Amino acid sequence: MQKILSKDKLKEFLLDLARHSYLIIPVRDKITKFKLFEDEKDLDKLYLKDITLAPPKQFILPENEELFEFRGKSVKAFRNKKKNKRKTIIFGLRKCDLNSFLVLDKVMYDMNYRKRRENLILIGLHCENPDKYCFCNSMELDTEGTYDLFFYPDKNNYYISVGSKKGKRIVRNLKENKGREIKKEPINFKTLKNKDIEKDYGDKIWKRDADKCLSCAACTAYCPTCNCFDIKDTTEINLKDGKRIRNSASCQLKGFSQVAGGKIFRDTRLAKLKHFIYHKIVYYKRLHNKYMCVGCGRCLRVCPTRIDWVDTINLIKNTKKRKNKEGKK
Amino acid sequence: MPFTPKKHRILSVKTINPEVKLFRVKSSMNPLPGKFFEVSILGVGECPLASCSYSKKYLDLLVKNAGGVTSKLSELGKNDILFIRGPYGKGFPLENLKGKNLILVAGGTGIAPITCLIEYIEKNRKDFGEVLIYFGFKNEEYILLKERIDKWSEEFKVTICLDNKTKKEKNNYKKGFVHEIMKSEKPSVKNLKDAFAFMCGPEIMMQAVSSELNKFGIKNNHIYWSMERRMECAFGSCGRCMIQDVYVCKDGPVFRYDIIKPKLENEEKSNKYGK
Repeated sequence: MQKILSKDKLKEFLLDLARHSYLIIPVRDKITKFKLFEDEKDLDKLYLKDITLAPPKQFILPENEELFEFRGKSVKAFRNKKKNKRKTIIFGLRKCDLNSFLVLDKVMYDMNYRKRRENLILIGLHCENPDKYCFCNSMELDTEGTYDLFFYPDKNNYYISVGSKKGKRIVRNLKENKGREIKKEPINFKTLKNKDIEKDYGDKIWKRDADKCLSCAACTAYCPTCNCFDIKDTTEINLKDGKRIRNSASCQLKGFSQVAGGKIFRDTRLAKLKHFIYHKIVYYKRLHNKYMCVGCGRCLRVCPTRIDWVDTINLIKNTKKRKNKEGKK
Repeated sequence: MPFTPKKHRILSVKTINPEVKLFRVKSSMNPLPGKFFEVSILGVGECPLASCSYSKKYLDLLVKNAGGVTSKLSELGKNDILFIRGPYGKGFPLENLKGKNLILVAGGTGIAPITCLIEYIEKNRKDFGEVLIYFGFKNEEYILLKERIDKWSEEFKVTICLDNKTKKEKNNYKKGFVHEIMKSEKPSVKNLKDAFAFMCGPEIMMQAVSSELNKFGIKNNHIYWSMERRMECAFGSCGRCMIQDVYVCKDGPVFRYDIIKPKLENEEKSNKYGK
């Protein structure tokens, strides 16, 4: 079943959502990102042209998050003090973003995450203008089963697919689409041709990328599925009270694998960069039978030295193919 | 909440040498050998530590003053409060060891999980065959848990190897690394090829010992390593302890050597290229 919403009425629709729940929308504000809707001015910044530069993960994995409080020698388990039943709605999620939530679900299973996740309503939006970095079609993703509502834009209308009961309640007042159901798949200009790279770990071409890498960790900060974290204590000025917090961490930074005594287990840029890429393509797949990478291309977009690991993998595979052919001749 | 630790009281503190202290903490958790805990001081942080005792009444923590948390930890005394969560991880595979001969190797503070294992073996002596123990330390001063080692020497064959030993010192300790001692004196266990080896210590030591054991015909699937990595969450979520695709906290910290060896070699190779 699909519903129809005229494109002029989108703002009205969003305002209505914001009345009953926390609404998060993609905006253009210096960079394109997701932002909590505060007043009507935010709707003027609404950005629906293409994928946002920053991923939506900050709303489910905050950069800093309180795990519990302590007062002197007693621990107070953290509870969500505000008991509100308001849902959080994220609007304008692309196919890659929607799938990133499914990826995170398999590795994050503490209560803080679970509670936020249950409270979330995901509204997807079809990607009309994928850019030269998008390669979501290569990552075997499925849009079905990831969303509560999904918007397919047409000339004048949005055709809205309903994926859950929660979603159905939101669009209950809209007109039903009696014609043919509209479904689209995004077009990609980039492909990751072969994802079976387990045996290419030792390939020399990786060194070319590692030489360019600055270990700046932009790729992991912008990746919608990067979830690694650090646990730290912060104290107030009396040094007795404080909080234990969770910070986001990055495998590209040196201290990430450092243990007491100073030993760093993944020391070089080559080892760190390959760990990032192989975690996305190989390691996660072995454990959960799906790719951790969702093909949004954000790591490629933000890299200051333009490291394109997708091209590198394609290059490795092409070189191997050529060598095999030459060998046969 | 998995992140919330529980309060525990320190029963006693014993200074073993200027760097290492032994804390006895009141606890009834009684973890199986090889498992570990996240020990924390509020306001400072957490660190992963293995228990080095097998008892229902207390928990022994061997703490070397090496990092932020452990340096603060070594300032604590009797009746102070520690916060502990755990136990986490998979311990030593004790089920399939019935009647087998064991070779245990520990180096430095890696003695902790091996101690726990030895105490387990003492309590279930009938289940195991011959037990051969090797300890490696820097020099005589650095020998940890000496009283326990002396006690075990009566029951098991214990060899203590010291890296630095002057000729003046007169004692039963051997000079050299553990693998060198093994090379000069073949481990005297019946049916050596079928024995199991468990070890904990610096990776470079475990590598040398494992390849020495290979020469005696012990295959890699009979060798188990207890490994060290940075473990923050301890249940396979934070991603900091990953060795390629395995989480040391969740899948380990005890690994069968044939499983972990190729992964370590892969990382080691890329660790050599350009810092």
